[in-house]
Amino acid sequence: MIRTDALVLSNTAVAGDIFLLRLRAPEIARDAAPGQFVEVRCGSTLAPLLRRPISIHRIGPRAAGYAPDEIALVIRVIGEGSRLLSRLREGDTLDLLGPLGRGFRLFPGTRRVLLVAGGLGLAPLVALADEAIAHEVNVVLLGGAETACRILPPQYLPPEVEYQVCTEDGSLGACGMVTNLCPPYLEWADQVFVCGPEAMLPPVVDQLRALAQGGRRLPVQVSLEARMACGMGVCLSCVVETRHGLKRVCRDGPVFDLTEVRVW
Amino acid sequence: MSLAVDLAPGREPGLRLRNPVMVASGTFGYGTEYAGLVDIQRLGAIVCKGTTLRPRRGNPTPRTAETPAGLLNSIGLQNIGVRALVREKAPIWAKWSVPVLVNIAGESTEEYAEIARILDEAPGVAGIEVNVSCPNVAAGGMTCGVDPVLAAEVTAAVREATTLPVMVKLTPNVTDIVSIAEAVVGAGADALSLVNTFVGMIIDINTKKPLLGAVTGGLSGPAIRPIALRMVYEVAQAVPVPVVGVGGITDTVSALQFLMAGAAAIQVGTATFVDPNTAADIIDGLGDWLEREGISDIREIVGAALPKDA
Repeated sequence: MIRTDALVLSNTAVAGDIFLLRLRAPEIARDAAPGQFVEVRCGSTLAPLLRRPISIHRIGPRAAGYAPDEIALVIRVIGEGSRLLSRLREGDTLDLLGPLGRGFRLFPGTRRVLLVAGGLGLAPLVALADEAIAHEVNVVLLGGAETACRILPPQYLPPEVEYQVCTEDGSLGACGMVTNLCPPYLEWADQVFVCGPEAMLPPVVDQLRALAQGGRRLPVQVSLEARMACGMGVCLSCVVETRHGLKRVCRDGPVFDLTEVRVW
Repeated sequence: MSLAVDLAPGREPGLRLRNPVMVASGTFGYGTEYAGLVDIQRLGAIVCKGTTLRPRRGNPTPRTAETPAGLLNSIGLQNIGVRALVREKAPIWAKWSVPVLVNIAGESTEEYAEIARILDEAPGVAGIEVNVSCPNVAAGGMTCGVDPVLAAEVTAAVREATTLPVMVKLTPNVTDIVSIAEAVVGAGADALSLVNTFVGMIIDINTKKPLLGAVTGGLSGPAIRPIALRMVYEVAQAVPVPVVGVGGITDTVSALQFLMAGAAAIQVGTATFVDPNTAADIIDGLGDWLEREGISDIREIVGAALPKDA
């Protein structure tokens, strides 16, 4: 893990208020694992003060069409920090700290993975899709959002991924919550990975409980989001209750086994 | 050129730092977390996370929120407890050249003394920072730091319980910080550190509720710097012991301001979250500044801005 000034290679508005930021950051590209994140300094002044934790979306050595020294981030404009990031241009530099946290763990025997994304929870799951494809694992990615302009268009995903989308307002794909799309794939997958708002977890837990009653226990990993200050495991802002007591999302996670954070 | 300072000159062996740049409690964990990123042995000293007698869970989340040039936190002293610290952390520190101070918080005077007694026998502990200023706990913490009598009582009990250097960290949430400082020094503190965070809050206008799980939190960061500086300036004139300046220090210039206001050393806190190398950069910056100014000893500038008749 290092602090580095990454070079902005491109910054593209890919949908609505969502930007794809491609960066040259050789050490991070070399060391990062899917599910890890970087702490990004959005500006150079005292406001916004803190770094922003942002999932690594693509890791160059594994991502088709990327150079080995590249990483990508996906930014949605929400506040002042993300607004500054959305204005970065080719040739600018961006102060990064990373890679941080514990990422997804793809088991050696896994052949089929189901990725379930709510909103920008999609970002780290694409890095995992790249990794899975490199290991000849079949990938289904279910992406949901409030509305069409919050859905990452398929041309930004590896072509091997089977991509299904849904929106809460029905403006693109099926209408409803992304978790509604899960059930048929839960029968199919060897491993499931979930990233998105906390509200996604109860329906997933219910579906897994039904599955477990049929004798099938599916390993599920979930990437959690929490307010962070340091990103290094120091400040204890981002703690979450687990079966083994309070854990830090930034250092012990952000990826946890679902059984660690939810009972089913 | 010398950057060395002694924060407990009246005590043997004292609390000698190779430079006056410390990292503040709660922003540097147990020192190990940043070891891969920062050359921690270069630091003047490390103050570890606030430590209680028994392990503490801390406050409900959300525990932090960003404010303009500031950070509001209500961690609530989540920590592993002093016995686990002595067992698991102190042996690591004993191998380090950088001194580590343990920040302690009790729920009663007796508890402060008991923690100090346990630390007294631990190798790897260079000193104690007595936290009578945590704004985020119901018992102990700031409740003793706002009352000169209670603050002095806690200080005396800790002083009695240990031969280690004792530094008392003051809260700024008082009408007259000088009277607290004088009481604590009178009770035997070797040094003072100030300030802890300012009690503040933030409201989420969507939920129409306080954003922090604990309702209020402590404000740190550059937003508080001028107030912290004023308090250091006042206290440094009033007490004969070394004062350690804390509050919104982000760079060499702000560190120099605290030194000139009378601080014998400084602590970097929130700025470490922004750039983990802030403290190391300030060490370099102070050296460069002294060289440019032709000053051979950092102690020459301590208190340079204080009134000359003080």
